[in-house]
Amino acid sequence: MIKESKGFKLIRAIFLISAALFVIVPLIPLVFMAFKTGTEYASTGVFTAPQSFLNFYNFMYAINVGKLGEALMNTAIILAVSLTVQVLFTTMVSYVLHRFDFKLKKLVTFLFTMTMFIPVVTTQVVVFEIIYSIGLVNTIWSVIILYSGVGIVGIYIMLNLLDSISKDLDESALIDGASYFTIYRKIIFPLLKPATTTMLILNGIGLYNDFYIPNIYLNKSTQTFTVALYKFFGSMSTPFEIVAAAILLGVIPIMIVYLFMQKYIYYGLAGAVK
Amino acid sequence: MLGVKEQTLAYPKTKTSRMSATTKKRILIFSFLIVPIIHLLIFSYVPIITNFFLSFTNYNGVSTPTFIGFDNYVRLFTDPQYIQMFKNCLWYMLMSIPQLVFSFALAIFVNGKFRGLQLFKGIAIIPYLLNGVIVSTIFIIFFNNTGTLNMLLGALGLEGLTTNWLQNLDTVNPAIASISIWRYYGMNFIMFFGALQTIPKDLYEAAAMDGCNKWQEIRYIAVPAIKKVLYINLILSISGSIQVFELPYIMMNGANGTMTPVIQIQQSAFQDDRIGFAAALSMLVFVIVIIAIGIQKLVTKERSA
Repeated sequence: MIKESKGFKLIRAIFLISAALFVIVPLIPLVFMAFKTGTEYASTGVFTAPQSFLNFYNFMYAINVGKLGEALMNTAIILAVSLTVQVLFTTMVSYVLHRFDFKLKKLVTFLFTMTMFIPVVTTQVVVFEIIYSIGLVNTIWSVIILYSGVGIVGIYIMLNLLDSISKDLDESALIDGASYFTIYRKIIFPLLKPATTTMLILNGIGLYNDFYIPNIYLNKSTQTFTVALYKFFGSMSTPFEIVAAAILLGVIPIMIVYLFMQKYIYYGLAGAVK
Repeated sequence: MLGVKEQTLAYPKTKTSRMSATTKKRILIFSFLIVPIIHLLIFSYVPIITNFFLSFTNYNGVSTPTFIGFDNYVRLFTDPQYIQMFKNCLWYMLMSIPQLVFSFALAIFVNGKFRGLQLFKGIAIIPYLLNGVIVSTIFIIFFNNTGTLNMLLGALGLEGLTTNWLQNLDTVNPAIASISIWRYYGMNFIMFFGALQTIPKDLYEAAAMDGCNKWQEIRYIAVPAIKKVLYINLILSISGSIQVFELPYIMMNGANGTMTPVIQIQQSAFQDDRIGFAAALSMLVFVIVIIAIGIQKLVTKERSA
Protein backbone atom coordinates (compact mmCIF):
# COMPACT_ATOMS: atom_id res chain seq x y z
CA MET A 1 0.00 0.00 0.00
CA ILE A 2 1.10 3.53 -0.67
CA LYS A 3 2.10 5.39 2.43
CA GLU A 4 -0.27 8.14 3.45
CA SER A 5 1.26 11.49 4.33
CA LYS A 6 0.34 13.39 7.52
CA GLY A 7 -1.40 16.06 5.48
CA PHE A 8 -3.52 13.48 3.71
CA LYS A 9 -4.54 11.90 7.01
CA LEU A 10 -5.51 15.29 8.43
CA ILE A 11 -7.65 16.23 5.43
CA ARG A 12 -9.27 12.81 5.54
CA ALA A 13 -10.11 13.23 9.22
CA ILE A 14 -11.67 16.64 8.57
CA PHE A 15 -13.75 15.20 5.71
CA LEU A 16 -14.98 12.28 7.78
CA ILE A 17 -15.86 14.35 10.81
CA SER A 18 -17.80 16.87 8.72
CA ALA A 19 -19.63 14.06 6.94
CA ALA A 20 -20.53 12.46 10.28
CA LEU A 21 -21.71 15.77 11.75
CA PHE A 22 -23.81 16.30 8.63
CA VAL A 23 -25.75 13.16 9.59
CA ILE A 24 -25.91 13.79 13.32
CA VAL A 25 -26.81 17.49 13.59
CA PRO A 26 -30.37 17.22 12.17
CA LEU A 27 -31.03 14.29 14.56
CA ILE A 28 -30.16 16.14 17.77
CA PRO A 29 -33.31 18.34 18.02
CA LEU A 30 -35.50 15.25 17.63
CA VAL A 31 -33.82 13.45 20.51
CA PHE A 32 -33.94 16.55 22.71
CA MET A 33 -37.57 17.16 21.86
CA ALA A 34 -38.67 13.70 22.97
CA PHE A 35 -37.60 14.51 26.54
CA LYS A 36 -39.02 18.01 26.74
CA THR A 37 -42.32 18.97 28.36
CA GLY A 38 -44.88 20.80 26.23
CA THR A 39 -44.13 24.21 27.70
CA GLU A 40 -40.41 23.58 27.56
CA TYR A 41 -40.69 22.70 23.85
CA ALA A 42 -42.57 25.91 23.14
CA SER A 43 -40.16 28.12 25.05
CA THR A 44 -36.72 26.69 24.22
CA GLY A 45 -34.66 26.54 21.04
CA VAL A 46 -34.22 23.31 19.09
CA PHE A 47 -30.65 22.88 20.28
CA THR A 48 -31.38 23.53 23.95
CA ALA A 49 -31.00 20.29 25.88
CA PRO A 50 -34.07 19.20 27.87
CA GLN A 51 -34.09 19.92 31.61
CA SER A 52 -34.14 16.22 32.33
CA PHE A 53 -33.41 13.16 30.22
CA LEU A 54 -35.53 11.21 32.69
CA ASN A 55 -38.78 12.81 31.57
CA PHE A 56 -40.54 9.75 30.11
CA TYR A 57 -44.00 11.30 30.03
CA ASN A 58 -43.96 11.71 26.24
CA PHE A 59 -43.00 8.07 25.74
CA MET A 60 -45.76 6.80 28.01
CA TYR A 61 -48.27 9.06 26.28
CA ALA A 62 -47.18 7.83 22.84
CA ILE A 63 -47.54 4.19 23.88
CA ASN A 64 -50.96 4.66 25.45
CA VAL A 65 -52.62 6.98 22.97
CA GLY A 66 -50.91 6.22 19.67
CA LYS A 67 -51.82 2.51 19.60
CA LEU A 68 -48.18 2.06 18.72
CA GLY A 69 -47.90 -1.31 20.47
CA GLU A 70 -50.68 -2.76 18.35
CA ALA A 71 -49.19 -1.27 15.20
CA LEU A 72 -45.74 -2.66 15.98
CA MET A 73 -47.37 -6.06 16.49
CA ASN A 74 -49.00 -5.88 13.05
CA THR A 75 -45.69 -4.91 11.51
CA ALA A 76 -44.03 -7.87 13.22
CA ILE A 77 -46.61 -10.33 11.87
CA ILE A 78 -46.43 -8.85 8.38
CA LEU A 79 -42.64 -9.04 8.39
CA ALA A 80 -42.50 -12.58 9.75
CA VAL A 81 -44.97 -14.00 7.22
CA SER A 82 -43.86 -12.12 4.13
CA LEU A 83 -40.13 -12.52 4.73
CA THR A 84 -40.55 -16.26 5.25
CA VAL A 85 -42.52 -16.57 2.03
CA GLN A 86 -40.05 -14.36 0.17
CA VAL A 87 -37.06 -16.41 1.26
CA LEU A 88 -38.75 -19.73 0.44
CA PHE A 89 -40.01 -18.64 -2.96
CA THR A 90 -36.83 -16.84 -3.95
CA THR A 91 -34.63 -19.83 -3.11
CA MET A 92 -37.08 -22.23 -4.80
CA VAL A 93 -37.26 -20.22 -8.02
CA SER A 94 -33.49 -19.75 -8.05
CA TYR A 95 -32.88 -23.46 -7.47
CA VAL A 96 -35.09 -24.36 -10.41
CA LEU A 97 -33.65 -21.70 -12.71
CA HIS A 98 -30.07 -22.67 -11.86
CA ARG A 99 -30.22 -26.45 -11.79
CA PHE A 100 -32.85 -27.46 -14.34
CA ASP A 101 -33.37 -27.06 -18.05
CA PHE A 102 -36.92 -26.94 -19.29
CA LYS A 103 -38.89 -25.74 -22.25
CA LEU A 104 -40.26 -22.52 -20.79
CA LYS A 105 -37.12 -21.53 -18.88
CA LYS A 106 -36.39 -18.56 -21.13
CA LEU A 107 -39.93 -17.25 -20.77
CA VAL A 108 -39.91 -17.68 -16.98
CA THR A 109 -36.57 -15.89 -16.66
CA PHE A 110 -37.88 -13.14 -18.92
CA LEU A 111 -41.02 -12.69 -16.81
CA PHE A 112 -39.03 -12.34 -13.59
CA THR A 113 -36.43 -10.03 -15.14
CA MET A 114 -38.97 -7.70 -16.73
CA THR A 115 -40.60 -6.92 -13.40
CA MET A 116 -37.79 -4.47 -12.74
CA PHE A 117 -39.33 -2.33 -15.46
CA ILE A 118 -42.71 -2.30 -13.71
CA PRO A 119 -42.44 -0.04 -10.66
CA VAL A 120 -44.93 -0.76 -7.89
CA VAL A 121 -46.21 2.82 -8.06
CA THR A 122 -47.48 2.34 -11.61
CA THR A 123 -49.65 -0.70 -10.92
CA GLN A 124 -51.46 0.15 -7.70
CA VAL A 125 -54.50 1.68 -9.42
CA VAL A 126 -55.41 -1.77 -10.73
CA VAL A 127 -53.89 -3.81 -7.90
CA PHE A 128 -56.12 -1.94 -5.47
CA GLU A 129 -59.18 -3.07 -7.45
CA ILE A 130 -57.93 -6.67 -7.29
CA ILE A 131 -57.21 -6.58 -3.56
CA TYR A 132 -60.54 -4.83 -3.00
CA SER A 133 -62.45 -7.44 -4.99
CA ILE A 134 -61.06 -10.26 -2.84
CA GLY A 135 -62.00 -8.29 0.27
CA LEU A 136 -58.55 -7.82 1.76
CA VAL A 137 -58.42 -4.03 2.01
CA ASN A 138 -57.82 -2.95 5.61
CA THR A 139 -56.55 -6.36 6.64
CA ILE A 140 -52.85 -7.09 7.08
CA TRP A 141 -53.22 -9.85 4.45
CA SER A 142 -53.36 -7.26 1.67
CA VAL A 143 -49.90 -6.05 2.63
CA ILE A 144 -48.57 -9.56 3.23
CA ILE A 145 -49.69 -10.76 -0.20
CA LEU A 146 -48.18 -7.77 -1.96
CA TYR A 147 -44.90 -8.21 -0.09
CA SER A 148 -44.69 -11.91 -0.89
CA GLY A 149 -43.53 -11.63 -4.48
CA VAL A 150 -40.15 -12.79 -5.73
CA GLY A 151 -37.87 -9.92 -6.66
CA ILE A 152 -35.28 -10.12 -9.39
CA VAL A 153 -32.53 -8.74 -7.14
CA GLY A 154 -33.05 -11.62 -4.72
CA ILE A 155 -32.89 -14.11 -7.59
CA TYR A 156 -29.63 -12.58 -8.82
CA ILE A 157 -28.03 -12.85 -5.37
CA MET A 158 -29.13 -16.50 -5.09
CA LEU A 159 -28.01 -17.43 -8.62
CA ASN A 160 -24.58 -15.95 -7.95
CA LEU A 161 -24.17 -18.06 -4.85
CA LEU A 162 -25.56 -21.18 -6.57
CA ASP A 163 -22.73 -20.88 -9.10
CA SER A 164 -20.31 -21.64 -6.31
CA ILE A 165 -22.28 -24.62 -4.92
CA SER A 166 -20.92 -27.69 -6.68
CA LYS A 167 -23.36 -29.74 -8.74
CA ASP A 168 -21.52 -32.87 -7.59
CA LEU A 169 -23.35 -32.49 -4.29
CA ASP A 170 -26.70 -32.73 -6.08
CA GLU A 171 -25.58 -35.67 -8.15
CA SER A 172 -24.23 -37.78 -5.33
CA ALA A 173 -27.41 -37.12 -3.36
CA LEU A 174 -29.46 -38.21 -6.40
CA ILE A 175 -27.46 -41.45 -6.62
CA ASP A 176 -28.15 -42.02 -2.94
CA GLY A 177 -31.82 -41.90 -3.81
CA ALA A 178 -32.67 -38.39 -2.60
CA SER A 179 -35.57 -36.63 -4.31
CA TYR A 180 -35.12 -33.19 -5.85
CA PHE A 181 -37.12 -31.74 -3.03
CA THR A 182 -34.78 -33.33 -0.47
CA ILE A 183 -31.80 -31.91 -2.35
CA TYR A 184 -33.35 -28.45 -2.16
CA ARG A 185 -34.25 -28.78 1.50
CA LYS A 186 -31.19 -30.58 2.83
CA ILE A 187 -28.41 -29.28 0.58
CA ILE A 188 -29.27 -26.16 -1.39
CA PHE A 189 -31.33 -24.23 1.15
CA PRO A 190 -28.79 -24.58 4.01
CA LEU A 191 -25.89 -23.64 1.71
CA LEU A 192 -27.73 -20.51 0.55
CA LYS A 193 -27.78 -19.20 4.11
CA PRO A 194 -25.34 -16.28 3.59
CA ALA A 195 -27.49 -14.96 0.75
CA THR A 196 -30.79 -15.54 2.54
CA THR A 197 -29.49 -13.74 5.63
CA THR A 198 -28.50 -10.71 3.59
CA MET A 199 -31.82 -10.76 1.79
CA LEU A 200 -33.74 -11.11 5.06
CA ILE A 201 -32.01 -8.12 6.61
CA LEU A 202 -32.14 -5.75 3.64
CA ASN A 203 -35.72 -6.65 2.74
CA GLY A 204 -36.62 -6.62 6.41
CA ILE A 205 -35.42 -3.04 6.77
CA GLY A 206 -37.17 -2.11 3.54
CA LEU A 207 -40.51 -3.61 4.58
CA TYR A 208 -40.31 -2.31 8.15
CA ASN A 209 -39.88 1.19 6.79
CA ASP A 210 -42.24 0.92 3.84
CA PHE A 211 -44.90 3.59 3.88
CA TYR A 212 -46.35 3.46 0.38
CA ILE A 213 -48.13 0.09 0.39
CA PRO A 214 -49.56 0.08 3.95
CA ASN A 215 -50.70 3.68 3.50
CA ILE A 216 -52.85 2.62 0.55
CA TYR A 217 -54.21 -0.64 1.94
CA LEU A 218 -54.41 -0.06 5.68
CA ASN A 219 -55.88 3.27 6.51
CA LYS A 220 -58.49 2.62 9.14
CA SER A 221 -58.20 0.61 12.31
CA THR A 222 -55.46 -1.81 11.26
CA GLN A 223 -52.12 -0.08 10.90
CA THR A 224 -48.45 -0.81 10.56
CA PHE A 225 -45.96 1.12 12.62
CA THR A 226 -45.12 3.54 9.80
CA VAL A 227 -48.77 4.33 9.08
CA ALA A 228 -49.61 4.67 12.78
CA LEU A 229 -46.77 7.14 13.11
CA TYR A 230 -48.05 9.04 10.09
CA LYS A 231 -51.61 9.25 11.44
CA PHE A 232 -50.19 10.31 14.75
CA PHE A 233 -48.05 12.93 13.11
CA GLY A 234 -50.77 14.11 10.74
CA SER A 235 -53.40 14.74 13.40
CA MET A 236 -53.01 18.33 14.46
CA SER A 237 -53.93 17.52 18.05
CA THR A 238 -50.76 15.51 18.67
CA PRO A 239 -48.05 17.68 20.22
CA PHE A 240 -44.77 17.51 18.36
CA GLU A 241 -42.77 16.36 21.38
CA ILE A 242 -45.01 13.28 21.62
CA VAL A 243 -44.37 12.49 17.96
CA ALA A 244 -40.64 12.74 18.65
CA ALA A 245 -40.95 10.28 21.53
CA ALA A 246 -42.97 7.85 19.38
CA ILE A 247 -40.30 8.02 16.72
CA LEU A 248 -37.52 7.19 19.14
CA LEU A 249 -39.51 4.19 20.36
CA GLY A 250 -40.01 2.94 16.82
CA VAL A 251 -36.35 3.27 16.01
CA ILE A 252 -35.36 0.88 18.80
CA PRO A 253 -36.12 -2.40 16.97
CA ILE A 254 -34.31 -1.34 13.84
CA MET A 255 -31.32 -0.11 15.80
CA ILE A 256 -31.05 -3.49 17.52
CA VAL A 257 -31.11 -5.31 14.19
CA TYR A 258 -28.57 -2.85 12.89
CA LEU A 259 -26.16 -3.25 15.81
CA PHE A 260 -26.04 -7.01 15.46
CA MET A 261 -26.32 -7.30 11.70
CA GLN A 262 -24.19 -4.39 10.46
CA LYS A 263 -21.88 -6.71 8.58
CA TYR A 264 -24.72 -8.08 6.47
CA ILE A 265 -26.08 -4.63 5.69
CA TYR A 266 -22.73 -3.49 4.30
CA TYR A 267 -22.28 -6.76 2.44
CA GLY A 268 -25.75 -6.50 0.94
CA LEU A 269 -25.45 -2.86 -0.08
CA ALA A 270 -22.03 -3.39 -1.64
CA GLY A 271 -23.30 -6.51 -3.40
CA ALA A 272 -26.41 -4.79 -4.73
CA VAL A 273 -24.29 -2.84 -7.19
CA LYS A 274 -22.95 -5.84 -9.07
CA MET B 1 -33.60 -44.83 12.84
CA LEU B 2 -34.39 -43.25 9.55
CA GLY B 3 -32.84 -46.19 7.70
CA VAL B 4 -35.11 -48.70 9.39
CA LYS B 5 -38.16 -46.67 8.54
CA GLU B 6 -37.23 -46.51 4.89
CA GLN B 7 -36.75 -50.27 4.72
CA THR B 8 -40.18 -50.96 6.10
CA LEU B 9 -41.63 -48.60 3.49
CA ALA B 10 -40.24 -50.64 0.62
CA TYR B 11 -43.45 -50.72 -1.39
CA PRO B 12 -44.08 -46.98 -1.78
CA LYS B 13 -40.44 -46.51 -2.62
CA THR B 14 -40.50 -48.84 -5.61
CA LYS B 15 -43.70 -47.20 -6.71
CA THR B 16 -42.13 -43.75 -6.88
CA SER B 17 -38.98 -45.04 -8.51
CA ARG B 18 -41.14 -46.36 -11.34
CA MET B 19 -42.02 -42.76 -12.09
CA SER B 20 -39.58 -41.57 -14.75
CA ALA B 21 -36.87 -39.08 -13.86
CA THR B 22 -38.32 -36.59 -16.29
CA THR B 23 -41.72 -36.70 -14.63
CA LYS B 24 -40.13 -36.13 -11.23
CA LYS B 25 -38.24 -33.16 -12.57
CA ARG B 26 -41.37 -31.74 -14.14
CA ILE B 27 -43.32 -32.08 -10.93
CA LEU B 28 -40.64 -30.24 -8.98
CA ILE B 29 -40.21 -27.46 -11.53
CA PHE B 30 -43.94 -26.94 -11.72
CA SER B 31 -44.57 -26.98 -7.98
CA PHE B 32 -41.66 -24.65 -7.21
CA LEU B 33 -42.55 -22.07 -9.84
CA ILE B 34 -46.32 -22.02 -10.00
CA VAL B 35 -47.13 -19.79 -7.02
CA PRO B 36 -44.43 -17.15 -7.65
CA ILE B 37 -45.42 -16.97 -11.32
CA ILE B 38 -49.11 -16.59 -10.55
CA HIS B 39 -48.20 -13.85 -8.07
CA LEU B 40 -46.13 -12.15 -10.73
CA LEU B 41 -48.91 -12.30 -13.29
CA ILE B 42 -51.67 -11.12 -10.96
CA PHE B 43 -49.77 -8.30 -9.27
CA SER B 44 -47.46 -7.04 -12.03
CA TYR B 45 -48.40 -8.06 -15.56
CA VAL B 46 -52.18 -8.12 -15.41
CA PRO B 47 -52.27 -4.69 -13.67
CA ILE B 48 -49.92 -2.97 -16.08
CA ILE B 49 -51.83 -4.32 -19.11
CA THR B 50 -55.23 -3.48 -17.60
CA ASN B 51 -53.82 -0.09 -16.73
CA PHE B 52 -52.94 0.50 -20.37
CA PHE B 53 -56.53 -0.10 -21.45
CA LEU B 54 -58.01 1.89 -18.57
CA SER B 55 -55.88 4.88 -19.48
CA PHE B 56 -58.03 5.42 -22.59
CA THR B 57 -61.26 5.47 -20.61
CA ASN B 58 -63.02 7.68 -18.10
CA TYR B 59 -63.48 4.84 -15.58
CA ASN B 60 -64.48 6.10 -12.15
CA GLY B 61 -64.55 2.82 -10.25
CA VAL B 62 -68.31 2.35 -10.46
CA SER B 63 -69.85 2.85 -13.90
CA THR B 64 -68.69 0.93 -16.95
CA PRO B 65 -65.63 2.56 -18.51
CA THR B 66 -66.23 4.56 -21.71
CA PHE B 67 -63.54 4.83 -24.34
CA ILE B 68 -62.36 8.44 -24.61
CA GLY B 69 -59.25 8.05 -26.76
CA PHE B 70 -56.24 10.12 -25.79
CA ASP B 71 -58.18 12.66 -23.69
CA ASN B 72 -56.41 11.73 -20.43
CA TYR B 73 -53.00 12.03 -22.05
CA VAL B 74 -53.89 15.31 -23.73
CA ARG B 75 -54.83 16.75 -20.35
CA LEU B 76 -51.56 15.56 -18.85
CA PHE B 77 -49.54 17.30 -21.53
CA THR B 78 -51.52 20.53 -21.70
CA ASP B 79 -52.74 21.38 -18.20
CA PRO B 80 -50.03 23.50 -16.52
CA GLN B 81 -50.98 21.97 -13.16
CA TYR B 82 -49.75 18.58 -14.37
CA ILE B 83 -46.75 19.92 -16.20
CA GLN B 84 -45.69 21.52 -12.92
CA MET B 85 -45.44 18.19 -11.12
CA PHE B 86 -43.03 16.86 -13.72
CA LYS B 87 -40.99 20.03 -13.29
CA ASN B 88 -40.89 19.29 -9.55
CA CYS B 89 -39.29 15.94 -10.34
CA LEU B 90 -36.40 17.82 -11.92
CA TRP B 91 -35.45 19.11 -8.46
CA TYR B 92 -35.18 15.56 -7.19
CA MET B 93 -33.07 14.60 -10.18
CA LEU B 94 -30.85 17.62 -9.68
CA MET B 95 -30.28 16.89 -5.98
CA SER B 96 -29.22 13.33 -6.73
CA ILE B 97 -26.12 14.76 -8.40
CA PRO B 98 -24.57 16.29 -5.25
CA GLN B 99 -25.76 13.24 -3.28
CA LEU B 100 -23.85 10.86 -5.56
CA VAL B 101 -20.85 13.07 -6.22
CA PHE B 102 -20.45 13.77 -2.52
CA SER B 103 -20.52 10.08 -1.55
CA PHE B 104 -18.39 9.09 -4.55
CA ALA B 105 -15.69 11.61 -3.67
CA LEU B 106 -15.77 10.63 -0.02
CA ALA B 107 -15.47 6.90 -0.78
CA ILE B 108 -12.58 7.49 -3.17
CA PHE B 109 -10.88 9.75 -0.69
CA VAL B 110 -11.13 7.58 2.39
CA ASN B 111 -10.53 4.30 0.55
CA GLY B 112 -8.43 1.94 2.64
CA LYS B 113 -8.27 0.70 6.20
CA PHE B 114 -7.88 3.13 9.06
CA ARG B 115 -9.00 3.76 12.60
CA GLY B 116 -12.57 5.01 12.93
CA LEU B 117 -13.77 3.50 9.66
CA GLN B 118 -16.33 1.23 11.32
CA LEU B 119 -17.60 4.07 13.47
CA PHE B 120 -17.97 6.31 10.44
CA LYS B 121 -19.81 3.65 8.44
CA GLY B 122 -22.05 3.11 11.44
CA ILE B 123 -23.00 6.78 11.58
CA ALA B 124 -23.32 7.25 7.83
CA ILE B 125 -25.84 4.42 7.49
CA ILE B 126 -28.25 5.70 10.18
CA PRO B 127 -30.50 7.76 7.83
CA TYR B 128 -30.98 4.72 5.60
CA LEU B 129 -32.53 2.87 8.54
CA LEU B 130 -35.17 5.53 9.26
CA ASN B 131 -38.59 5.47 7.64
CA GLY B 132 -40.13 8.31 5.63
CA VAL B 133 -42.28 9.59 8.49
CA ILE B 134 -39.26 9.89 10.75
CA VAL B 135 -37.18 11.60 8.08
CA SER B 136 -40.08 13.98 7.40
CA THR B 137 -40.39 14.88 11.08
CA ILE B 138 -36.66 15.50 11.35
CA PHE B 139 -36.70 17.83 8.36
CA ILE B 140 -39.86 19.67 9.32
CA ILE B 141 -37.92 20.60 12.46
CA PHE B 142 -34.86 21.33 10.36
CA PHE B 143 -36.56 23.65 7.85
CA ASN B 144 -38.97 25.24 10.32
CA ASN B 145 -38.91 29.02 10.78
CA THR B 146 -37.24 28.61 14.17
CA GLY B 147 -35.57 25.39 13.09
CA THR B 148 -32.06 24.06 12.78
CA LEU B 149 -31.20 25.50 9.38
CA ASN B 150 -32.25 29.06 10.17
CA MET B 151 -30.45 28.85 13.51
CA LEU B 152 -27.25 27.73 11.82
CA LEU B 153 -27.55 30.46 9.21
CA GLY B 154 -28.10 33.01 11.97
CA ALA B 155 -25.07 31.78 13.87
CA LEU B 156 -22.99 32.20 10.72
CA GLY B 157 -24.21 35.76 10.32
CA LEU B 158 -26.28 34.91 7.25
CA GLU B 159 -29.67 36.10 8.55
CA GLY B 160 -30.40 37.44 5.08
CA LEU B 161 -30.72 33.91 3.77
CA THR B 162 -33.20 32.70 6.37
CA THR B 163 -36.72 32.02 5.21
CA ASN B 164 -39.64 29.79 6.06
CA TRP B 165 -38.29 27.07 3.78
CA LEU B 166 -41.36 24.87 3.53
CA GLN B 167 -43.87 27.72 3.13
CA ASN B 168 -41.89 29.72 0.61
CA LEU B 169 -42.97 28.58 -2.87
CA ASP B 170 -39.50 29.16 -4.29
CA THR B 171 -37.69 27.04 -1.72
CA VAL B 172 -40.10 24.26 -0.82
CA ASN B 173 -39.22 21.86 -3.65
CA PRO B 174 -35.44 22.25 -3.53
CA ALA B 175 -35.63 21.99 0.27
CA ILE B 176 -37.53 18.69 0.23
CA ALA B 177 -35.47 17.34 -2.66
CA SER B 178 -32.22 18.14 -0.88
CA ILE B 179 -33.19 15.79 1.95
CA SER B 180 -32.13 12.91 -0.30
CA ILE B 181 -28.53 14.07 0.13
CA TRP B 182 -28.79 13.50 3.86
CA ARG B 183 -30.87 10.36 3.54
CA TYR B 184 -28.90 8.43 0.94
CA TYR B 185 -25.31 9.64 0.87
CA GLY B 186 -24.29 7.17 3.59
CA MET B 187 -25.84 4.28 1.71
CA ASN B 188 -24.18 5.41 -1.52
CA PHE B 189 -20.91 5.80 0.33
CA ILE B 190 -21.08 2.17 1.47
CA MET B 191 -21.90 1.02 -2.06
CA PHE B 192 -18.97 2.91 -3.55
CA PHE B 193 -16.68 1.92 -0.72
CA GLY B 194 -17.65 -1.74 -1.16
CA ALA B 195 -16.95 -1.53 -4.90
CA LEU B 196 -13.53 -0.05 -4.16
CA GLN B 197 -12.65 -3.02 -1.96
CA THR B 198 -13.01 -5.33 -4.95
CA ILE B 199 -10.00 -3.74 -6.69
CA PRO B 200 -7.18 -6.31 -6.58
CA LYS B 201 -4.49 -5.47 -4.03
CA ASP B 202 -1.64 -6.07 -6.50
CA LEU B 203 -2.80 -3.09 -8.56
CA TYR B 204 -1.99 -0.84 -5.62
CA GLU B 205 1.27 -2.65 -5.02
CA ALA B 206 2.30 -2.24 -8.63
CA ALA B 207 1.45 1.45 -8.40
CA ALA B 208 3.54 1.78 -5.24
CA MET B 209 6.48 0.11 -7.03
CA ASP B 210 6.17 2.59 -9.87
CA GLY B 211 6.40 5.39 -7.34
CA CYS B 212 2.82 6.62 -7.50
CA ASN B 213 1.73 8.99 -4.77
CA LYS B 214 -1.66 8.88 -3.04
CA TRP B 215 -3.23 11.40 -5.44
CA GLN B 216 -2.08 9.49 -8.49
CA GLU B 217 -3.40 6.28 -6.97
CA ILE B 218 -6.83 7.92 -6.61
CA ARG B 219 -6.73 9.41 -10.08
CA TYR B 220 -5.54 6.36 -12.02
CA ILE B 221 -6.82 3.36 -10.04
CA ALA B 222 -9.76 4.15 -7.76
CA VAL B 223 -11.78 6.56 -9.92
CA PRO B 224 -11.74 4.49 -13.13
CA ALA B 225 -12.59 1.33 -11.19
CA ILE B 226 -15.87 2.56 -9.76
CA LYS B 227 -16.97 5.04 -12.40
CA LYS B 228 -19.44 2.48 -13.71
CA VAL B 229 -21.20 2.27 -10.36
CA LEU B 230 -21.54 6.06 -10.42
CA TYR B 231 -23.10 6.02 -13.91
CA ILE B 232 -25.57 3.29 -12.98
CA ASN B 233 -26.64 5.21 -9.90
CA LEU B 234 -26.98 8.50 -11.76
CA ILE B 235 -29.30 6.95 -14.32
CA LEU B 236 -31.24 5.04 -11.68
CA SER B 237 -31.81 8.33 -9.89
CA ILE B 238 -33.78 9.53 -12.91
CA SER B 239 -36.21 6.66 -12.55
CA GLY B 240 -36.24 7.28 -8.79
CA SER B 241 -37.00 10.98 -9.19
CA ILE B 242 -40.03 10.34 -11.34
CA GLN B 243 -41.38 8.03 -8.61
CA VAL B 244 -40.88 10.43 -5.68
CA PHE B 245 -43.71 10.08 -3.22
CA GLU B 246 -42.94 9.74 0.47
CA LEU B 247 -41.42 13.02 1.61
CA PRO B 248 -43.57 15.54 -0.29
CA TYR B 249 -46.65 13.48 0.59
CA ILE B 250 -45.89 13.18 4.30
CA MET B 251 -44.48 16.69 4.77
CA MET B 252 -46.83 18.71 2.56
CA ASN B 253 -49.52 16.30 1.31
CA GLY B 254 -48.56 17.46 -2.16
CA ALA B 255 -49.82 20.97 -1.36
CA ASN B 256 -47.94 24.23 -1.70
CA GLY B 257 -46.64 23.33 -5.15
CA THR B 258 -45.02 20.05 -4.09
CA MET B 259 -47.24 17.72 -6.12
CA THR B 260 -45.47 14.80 -7.79
CA PRO B 261 -46.81 12.29 -10.36
CA VAL B 262 -47.15 9.49 -7.80
CA ILE B 263 -49.00 11.64 -5.26
CA GLN B 264 -51.29 12.71 -8.10
CA ILE B 265 -51.90 9.09 -9.13
CA GLN B 266 -52.92 8.26 -5.60
CA GLN B 267 -55.15 11.32 -5.23
CA SER B 268 -56.87 10.82 -8.58
CA ALA B 269 -57.40 7.11 -8.08
CA PHE B 270 -58.35 6.88 -4.42
CA GLN B 271 -59.82 10.29 -3.56
CA ASP B 272 -61.20 11.78 -6.77
CA ASP B 273 -62.31 8.47 -8.36
CA ARG B 274 -60.67 9.48 -11.63
CA ILE B 275 -59.26 6.02 -12.22
CA GLY B 276 -58.90 6.39 -15.99
CA PHE B 277 -56.84 9.53 -15.52
CA ALA B 278 -54.73 7.91 -12.78
CA ALA B 279 -54.10 5.00 -15.13
CA ALA B 280 -52.89 7.35 -17.86
CA LEU B 281 -50.53 9.08 -15.45
CA SER B 282 -49.27 5.67 -14.29
CA MET B 283 -48.55 4.73 -17.90
CA LEU B 284 -46.60 7.93 -18.41
CA VAL B 285 -44.47 7.26 -15.31
CA PHE B 286 -44.03 3.66 -16.50
CA VAL B 287 -42.74 4.78 -19.90
CA ILE B 288 -40.28 7.25 -18.35
CA VAL B 289 -38.96 4.55 -16.01
CA ILE B 290 -38.57 2.10 -18.91
CA ILE B 291 -36.59 4.68 -20.86
CA ALA B 292 -34.34 5.42 -17.87
CA ILE B 293 -33.64 1.77 -17.03
CA GLY B 294 -33.26 0.95 -20.73
CA ILE B 295 -30.56 3.62 -21.07
CA GLN B 296 -28.88 2.30 -17.93
CA LYS B 297 -28.81 -1.26 -19.32
CA LEU B 298 -27.34 0.01 -22.59
CA VAL B 299 -24.66 2.01 -20.80
CA THR B 300 -23.69 -0.91 -18.55
CA LYS B 301 -23.58 -3.34 -21.45
CA GLU B 302 -21.40 -1.06 -23.54
CA ARG B 303 -18.98 -0.53 -20.70
CA SER B 304 -18.62 -4.13 -19.65
CA ALA B 305 -18.27 -5.30 -23.28
